[in-house]
Amino acid sequence: MDAFHFFATSWVSPELLGLTALGTFLGIYVGAIPGLSVTMAVSILISFTFSWDVNNALCLMVGVYMGGVYGGSRTAILLNIPGAPSAIATAMDGYPLAKKGLAGEAIGLSTVMSVIGGFVGIIVLALAAPTVSEFAITFQPRDYMMLGVLGIMLVGSLSGNSLAKGIFAGALGLLIGTVGLDPMSAEERFTFGVVDLWDGINPVAVMIGMFGVSEALHQLHHMDKAVVKQKISRIIPKLSDIKKYLPLSLQSSFIGVIVGALPGTGGDIAALMAYDHAKRTTKDPKVPFGEGAKEGLIAPESANNAAVGGAYIPMLTLGIPGDAVTAVFIGALFIHGLNPGPLLLVEQPQMFWFTVGNLTLANIFVLIFGLTGIRLFSKIVECPKGILIPLIFLLSIVGAYAINNAVIDIWWMLAFGAFGYFMRLYGFPVGPVILGVILSSLTDENWRRAILTESGSLGNFFAHIFTSPLSSILFMSIVLIFVSQTSLWKKHLKPRLLRSK
Amino acid sequence: MKKTIALLAALSLSSTAVFADYPTKDVQGIIQWGAGGSTDTVMRSIAPHVEDALGTDLILTNRTGGVGAIATKYVNAKKADGYTLLMGAENPQMYKVLGLAKIDYSDMIAINVLARGTPVLVANNDAPFNNMQEFIDYTSANPGKVKLGSTGKGGLASIVLAMLKSQVSLNYISIPYNGDGPALTALQGGAIDVMPVVLGASIESIKAGRMKVIGLIDKESNALLPGVSPATDTLPGLARYLPWGPFFGVFVKKGTPEDAVEKLQAAFHTAADSPDFTALMKKRGFTILNISGEKADQFLNSYRSTSSWLVDEAGFSKYSPEKFGIPKPQ
Repeated sequence: MDAFHFFATSWVSPELLGLTALGTFLGIYVGAIPGLSVTMAVSILISFTFSWDVNNALCLMVGVYMGGVYGGSRTAILLNIPGAPSAIATAMDGYPLAKKGLAGEAIGLSTVMSVIGGFVGIIVLALAAPTVSEFAITFQPRDYMMLGVLGIMLVGSLSGNSLAKGIFAGALGLLIGTVGLDPMSAEERFTFGVVDLWDGINPVAVMIGMFGVSEALHQLHHMDKAVVKQKISRIIPKLSDIKKYLPLSLQSSFIGVIVGALPGTGGDIAALMAYDHAKRTTKDPKVPFGEGAKEGLIAPESANNAAVGGAYIPMLTLGIPGDAVTAVFIGALFIHGLNPGPLLLVEQPQMFWFTVGNLTLANIFVLIFGLTGIRLFSKIVECPKGILIPLIFLLSIVGAYAINNAVIDIWWMLAFGAFGYFMRLYGFPVGPVILGVILSSLTDENWRRAILTESGSLGNFFAHIFTSPLSSILFMSIVLIFVSQTSLWKKHLKPRLLRSK
Repeated sequence: MKKTIALLAALSLSSTAVFADYPTKDVQGIIQWGAGGSTDTVMRSIAPHVEDALGTDLILTNRTGGVGAIATKYVNAKKADGYTLLMGAENPQMYKVLGLAKIDYSDMIAINVLARGTPVLVANNDAPFNNMQEFIDYTSANPGKVKLGSTGKGGLASIVLAMLKSQVSLNYISIPYNGDGPALTALQGGAIDVMPVVLGASIESIKAGRMKVIGLIDKESNALLPGVSPATDTLPGLARYLPWGPFFGVFVKKGTPEDAVEKLQAAFHTAADSPDFTALMKKRGFTILNISGEKADQFLNSYRSTSSWLVDEAGFSKYSPEKFGIPKPQ
């Protein structure tokens, strides 16, 4: 009964209810603006809510978090600028839908699927938090490395027509990701003595440039083309559609919860893995992936919102943040005099169910705010190009500066924008570049940690992979995915082995 | 002529008025480390108290990168008017010997050194040693078997290890992580066995029994760790380096008008004295220092010489501390 009482704390107090609603609303817009990250918004709120009661402060911040993760999809669908790295996969199929005049439907569908994902995350948090967090911390460096390798193999899904060009783009991304102080030895890599390069090239700047600016430059080719009229007759997706896509949404959500709960990975990797999963498992999509497949929109949106609940799992049970935002939450709890850590649930038992209740509430507000105002937003795409293109540039520049209040990020963003434009012109996909930048350090660091642990012995490294069930499964997945993508399998072995029909 | 004099008088009046009125606008606080980190948390929790004392807004921005060097250089590139504060941790004191930057805190004015942390050695619960002596014995009996987490050259872990190595020979595998948080997570998952870390980062996990303390790197025992004897009991030679620990401080560029410095020092002094802040810091195992002026300089210099020479003797400094006139610790 106590649990229910704490769960409902923020539902029955008009003040807390209002703050959660306000937070969610703000979050959607903060999340939608590329460069303004949820992490930054929540940490600004720490100072802002310092003198408040802890519950009030948490309501506002939880709302911003939930809303922010969802909000990233808005600009991804409308303008092809993902609001955050976790919305990259959303742009792949969301933006083509908007170009066909289906922006309203795409936003509606992504909202409903985000909310379903959010609920899956919350349910797993509520029912299995201790088990999941104990599982999450057993991931060894070699397991993280293999997750990284699995991620890199998504290049196959993001490449479009030419796998070779996709691999080239992915490799370029990995290379960009190595710039900066080496995380292990602090040795400078590709910095040419420039201090501003020590922290590397910000992936968000690369992302805004490659997606937003290169798209805007590309649009300049079609200045005289009439803008696509948006069909806004249907916003809330058909019930039959939801039913049809529910299995995919649930599977993606589970990917999201687990990847979100791992302390080393977050919503961005979860969304990309879910996108890959959708592409692999959808037998005959109505529309091919990359040209506006609904499956390609549903999977990443479910996964990245499910990752929110996932990220809370190690945070509430062990005091280990599941992602950057929950790290800030830990700071907030600390400032408010609570002791975030493994004892939090013993000392402050109300905290767990309060948070679960609050997340549920915020998720409901995402549904409400997400489905209102879509008509207005769809109009953005109908803007004349002469207004829209400068607007995209402006948004990109402001966003790039906002990442770290540094002018250098604007230059990177513009440079990658121009580069991305030429890549598109010559048929190189830009998605794999971002994928490479995101996964570069995860794979690099953990490979080196893993091999250091074995004192450099490859034999021991593989011996340990096969003595750990988790590592073995990850290794098998890599081998399976790799083999299934080779032409040997597709042309010769598959027809022979699967000759059932 | 009269006009010029009047003008000059007016100018001088107005300029003194500007200084006398400090602060006339919002003060910017540049935090060296990212949102959610310990420096960020400490600065965000003292900021509201400073705002009260100073009577103006203190706007905090995180400028991360280059182990804090980017924020340090940024503040030093701004005007020395007291409107841009550097809110940082101990790292700049190692910049010179590690070749990361040409400036450190001795080239700035200390507004306040807020608090100091105490380093401890924590271990995975399953590790076959429970105290300093057992740890030393185990590593010498099993060379290259213990996996030890670290946080890169010049980080707390590297300096604590340099201290220990100045006393005994230790043979282990060092595995770098990007900070206390990820390393302590890896420790609980068994990816590493031992980690030198600041007490504040590990206290909650220690209390919950998720990891054990095998060494307290201090001269005296600690109220938060009953039953743990200080490392000097096992290695008396460590005493000459201690007490030593990472710290949090607030700095302004050299050349800032004295009036602004005094007002800032007074405001931070009051803020760091507030019961809210002191309770918060104590609970996390930080020792409140709340010092400025000569005392702060003394503390900063002593930290710099101890750490620089330790790092130099351990062989991973880029330049000798002598090059910068950093005296050997007494």
